[in-house]
Amino acid sequence: MLTKRIIPCLDVKDGKVVKGVNFKGLRDVGYPPEMAADYERQGADEITFLDITASLETRQTVLGIVSETASNLFVPLTVGGGIRSVADMRDALNAGADKVSVNSAAVKDPSIISECAESFGSQCVVVAIDGKRVGDHWEVFTHGGTKPTGIDAVEWAKRAEDLGAGEILLTSMDTDGVKTGYDIPLTEAVADEVSIPVIASGGCGSMEHIYDVFARTGASAALAASIFHYNECTVAEVKQYLRDRGIVVR
Amino acid sequence: MPLRITLTDYGVGNLYSIRRSLENCGAKVDVIRDMSGLKDAECIVFPGVGAFDKTMEKLLPHRDEVRDMLLSGTPALGICIGMQILYEGSAEGSSPGLGVFKGKVVPLEGEVIPHMGWNQVVSGDPLMSGVADNNFYFAHSFRGSPEEDITIGTTEYEGTTIPTFFRKANTYGTQFHPEKSSDSGMTVLRNFIRFAESVL
Repeated sequence: MLTKRIIPCLDVKDGKVVKGVNFKGLRDVGYPPEMAADYERQGADEITFLDITASLETRQTVLGIVSETASNLFVPLTVGGGIRSVADMRDALNAGADKVSVNSAAVKDPSIISECAESFGSQCVVVAIDGKRVGDHWEVFTHGGTKPTGIDAVEWAKRAEDLGAGEILLTSMDTDGVKTGYDIPLTEAVADEVSIPVIASGGCGSMEHIYDVFARTGASAALAASIFHYNECTVAEVKQYLRDRGIVVR
Repeated sequence: MPLRITLTDYGVGNLYSIRRSLENCGAKVDVIRDMSGLKDAECIVFPGVGAFDKTMEKLLPHRDEVRDMLLSGTPALGICIGMQILYEGSAEGSSPGLGVFKGKVVPLEGEVIPHMGWNQVVSGDPLMSGVADNNFYFAHSFRGSPEEDITIGTTEYEGTTIPTFFRKANTYGTQFHPEKSSDSGMTVLRNFIRFAESVL
């Protein structure tokens, strides 16, 4: 049967992997190609590379680091951050990404999802959604979580699926970086609504949090950064922990 | 002399991982965009990127020639969509496939589609020899439905067993992506290269 995936996330700024709290206060933690290869050795099922600089000037530099990361990696690599067009997506794929995630640009112009899906296949189009609780629902925020959009996150996920997204990378801004666990209600709401895989993200502070999100929601994968970056545990330890509790992993 | 593998570039996606993996396993890789070059190939790999019709577009004018080569023993490996085009056709598109495998490509059924992630391949084929962990990476919404006895491996998805590994003549097809399947995938690719060398 299909196993649950563990995906270490590399937030990359100016060529370095960084980690912050609630999208702010960034610290350097390492170099992407080395960290990605190390996570593969530990048993990571995929690697996500998010360029959080995402300014036009650094584009080529970032693509160079994507290539270097990909050249040493034999598990799928998702690249995101600053993808604004089909051409950007092609560049990322040509640099060695297996999947590309789009966020703000898709909210601004949803047709980018269908264009990318038609050009490259749904399997490589990941729609990243940053959601934040507002009253009784979750609202989509863009531009690294700084801009409210008025769009309902659950409805947006469904729309992204209808447009051809192959996967949803769902980050809760309420839990991101604070290490108190994934946003179970948000993850559950989105996973119930769509029939494409949902990657839960934001809030992982322990192995138990990863177990919780798999045990309590329909998430197909869990993305985590700091617990791995700060060597709090290895991917192998997380998998053993999950296996002992009846979650099927590779 | 290393095995020379001709890798088909349909112009629709990323050949980075497969090329690098094959080279890593000791093969010399020639990427071709003009499919008329296939007639000189000693071994062909059809990579797994894109959609059915788009993938077949450039191959279509050479369809009969390529099919005859594969049926008469040229070693080949089709991965994911590159495996699906070995069938006669697909529900995903309207183009005919290469027609090496008898049968069609049909939609995968399940609650969560695409089938994306690591799943077990149950197979006793020699290409799996030395594989310590039979989990391989999948990313697909369609699957092969053979009408002849070519299935050499299966996978369980949402309670249903589906064929995911095929062989006919010296042509192998994998629904999974060995090039993205870490150590297990590299073992399969190395075994394939050894196999191809042995039949040349």
